[in-house]
Amino acid sequence: MPKPDATVFVVDDDASVREALGGLLRSAGLGVATYASAQEFLAGPRAEGPSCLVLDVQLPGLSGLDLQRRLAEIDLEIPIIFITGHGDVPTSVRAMKAGAVEFLTKPFGDDDLLTAIREAITRDRAARLEHAGLRELKERYQSLTPRERAVMGRVVAGLLNKQAAAELGTSEITVKVHRGQVMKKMQARSLADLVRMSERLGLYTKV
Amino acid sequence: MGARVRRLRWLRDRSEKPGVQFVLGCVALALLTLLGSLLGARHGAAALLYLFAIVVTSLFGRLVPSLLVVVVAMLALTYVFPSPVNAFHILGATTDVVALIIFTTTAFVITRLITKTRTAAEALRTTQAELAHASRVMTMGEMTTSIAHEVNQPLAGIVTNAGACLRWLAGDAPNLEEAREAARRIIRDGNRASDVIGRIRSLAKKADTEKQPLDLNDAVQEVTALTQGEVRRNGVLLRTELAHDLPPVLGDRVQLQQVVLNLVMNAIEAMSRVGDRPRVLIIKTQRVQGGQACVTVQDSGVGLDPKGAAHIFNAFYSTKPGGMGMGLSISRSIIENHGGRLWALPNNGAGATFHFTVPQRP
Repeated sequence: MPKPDATVFVVDDDASVREALGGLLRSAGLGVATYASAQEFLAGPRAEGPSCLVLDVQLPGLSGLDLQRRLAEIDLEIPIIFITGHGDVPTSVRAMKAGAVEFLTKPFGDDDLLTAIREAITRDRAARLEHAGLRELKERYQSLTPRERAVMGRVVAGLLNKQAAAELGTSEITVKVHRGQVMKKMQARSLADLVRMSERLGLYTKV
Repeated sequence: MGARVRRLRWLRDRSEKPGVQFVLGCVALALLTLLGSLLGARHGAAALLYLFAIVVTSLFGRLVPSLLVVVVAMLALTYVFPSPVNAFHILGATTDVVALIIFTTTAFVITRLITKTRTAAEALRTTQAELAHASRVMTMGEMTTSIAHEVNQPLAGIVTNAGACLRWLAGDAPNLEEAREAARRIIRDGNRASDVIGRIRSLAKKADTEKQPLDLNDAVQEVTALTQGEVRRNGVLLRTELAHDLPPVLGDRVQLQQVVLNLVMNAIEAMSRVGDRPRVLIIKTQRVQGGQACVTVQDSGVGLDPKGAAHIFNAFYSTKPGGMGMGLSISRSIIENHGGRLWALPNNGAGATFHFTVPQRP
């Protein structure tokens, strides 16, 4: 059972479906926010805690799939559960390929929906943690001096201290000191750890 | 439909009013008598009167014409048989006998012809009704996906609400108020599903044309409710502007709804290929001059092809790839049967607007 801090956004143009879903989700102890259209959802506030989106495929104006694409464009990561009145295979394939958690055809069982929602919220929570970690990592990297970053780049590219020193036109001792600083500031326990971090940061390693 | 059919329809429509029949009869009678006396032929005048009587009964066959016929026939008889005693004397003349035979034969032939025309008109009306029904059912066939969606939507609501209701009732401290609320929503959605089915059934049923007083706003709203799925599926924005002062009309509800349905489906179809502008469908009802009710269906679709615009109301003319070309032709004959008019105009911007009028209930 997800914590009550989780919010489920529901976008469906049919008022009775919105009400029904709102009632069901509240009965399962979830926070609910309902919207009648994709535009309304885009204009609404974002959730602070973990959340997911229950999205109708056929919407007036911007369709459910359009909204999914739009969210990807604006880098708004939120797990999506699609619901549809008539599920055709191509649509569901497109939705799932674009990363949807589940594709449910109306009328669906309440357990199916709630299971999907729990899965989605778990995913969102993990993604949020992941994001928080990355953000922290970025902050650590920001704290490095340009020289330290240069040293880090060469070290993770597999250069020996001597080679790095030669490339940077400095002494091996200086590189060693910078390297120690980098390991400390990045909180890396080993060189392998540092390599993983630089990969996560998506750093371009120039050799 | 040909001009002959239209004339017949005109005659039938007019003949339904007793006042008009009577005036028409009197005028024709006066003209015939005048003609008869001008020719100076006693038998000729009698024959004309008698013929006229027969024509009138065959055409109208109602109480007023029938009375008229009795009177006219009596007049004719007094011409031919001035008195019972002289009857044989008059009939004795060969010319008189020939004249009598000629006009009896003519009368017989004319009666046959008129009866045949009336039967044909009747058959035409039945065929039209059947054709209208067939086309209606076909249109609804095209809508099955969205109609299924229309029924499915409340069903989804029911299932979800029932799940919620059970959850509110479960546990140590059931939330009765919420459970009650969910149950109420179940009832509402159940009624909604049944309404959809009711509307479909009334549109699909094969009923004889019967004109009844009706509110066109109601009829239009039922159609828009039914097409909601189709509208949504095609990403169309639907706006309805219904006049409050719309006069009640006399009409066949199902057939008029068929016209609206046809125009709406055409509009959606015309917009399905449009991607660079909003797909807007406006359905309007308004009171127009002469106390007529006017229904307008406006779209932002591909519009009317200037070359084809003249033919859109012709049977078997279609701009749709899979179209039969029956919809608009049937719609027009339905509206004309109601004494109204159906026409199309290109919009100032993109798309086309279809209008039809139905006269106010007398």
